[in-house]
Amino acid sequence: MASLPKRIIKETERLVTDPVPGITAEPHDDNLRYFKVTIEGPAGSPYENGLFNLELYLPDDYPMEAPKVRFLTKIYHPNIDRLGRICLDILKTNWSPALQIRTVLLSVQALLASPNPNDPLANDVAEDWIKNEQGAKAKAKEWTALYAKK
Amino acid sequence: MSKIPRSFRLLEELENGEKGLGPESCSYGLADADDNTMTNWNGTILGPPHSNHENRIYSLAIECGPEYPDQPPKVKFISKVNLPCVDQNTGDVIVKDFHTLSGWKRSYSMQTVLLDLRKEMATPSNKKLPQPKEGSTF
Repeated sequence: MASLPKRIIKETERLVTDPVPGITAEPHDDNLRYFKVTIEGPAGSPYENGLFNLELYLPDDYPMEAPKVRFLTKIYHPNIDRLGRICLDILKTNWSPALQIRTVLLSVQALLASPNPNDPLANDVAEDWIKNEQGAKAKAKEWTALYAKK
Repeated sequence: MSKIPRSFRLLEELENGEKGLGPESCSYGLADADDNTMTNWNGTILGPPHSNHENRIYSLAIECGPEYPDQPPKVKFISKVNLPCVDQNTGDVIVKDFHTLSGWKRSYSMQTVLLDLRKEMATPSNKKLPQPKEGSTF
């Protein structure tokens, strides 16, 4: 494999020495651009007490191109679809090379704390969220207990 | 070049398939939209012109196992078709008789497989092979 850019090495080191509270990110031994990620559900959200597994990949053009991130744990959220794909502006059009793995993961954690049903990826969930927010949150909580148990 | 992991590679293929970015002569999509392992796929091939396959639409099942794309997918015709590289009892594409699978490269995709199968249908020795009744399945 081609040698790893300095920037990625530095980011990886810092993720280990100075981890973000509630978030872990660890590269796979056989692919240092491919990370195992866990995010704790934010307190006060329907995802509280859940531990969510994700995967993150830094494409060849990173940091000119955004990391690719996907939820592996099933989650009931208007901006995350059934395949775990995430609708988040900084992963698409608003990506900037000044952002990092840690800022991306913090943004994902923030998305759990404040879902945005007006810019949905999972249309059925978003509809539910707009029509019956209490019911949708209860379902999100139920799924957290079911699939994201610590 | 770094190695894109299986899941992100399959998500790319899914997006290309959903957007219809590929040629019109083939298409593919997830068999089960809820399956986040993205293992089972449906494919279709539009029979090539100037052959006995013209105007026919062939359905296929494609299985991308845990080692995909390091290993080729398993490919099977659902629609009956008479081709030397297709097992006439099961519809399975026979790996050793189909160069795209036997000489698999990581850069190949489901689209490569479907387009190359379509090329097989159009080779001088295959294009006039008698074909089963249209719409019959294995």
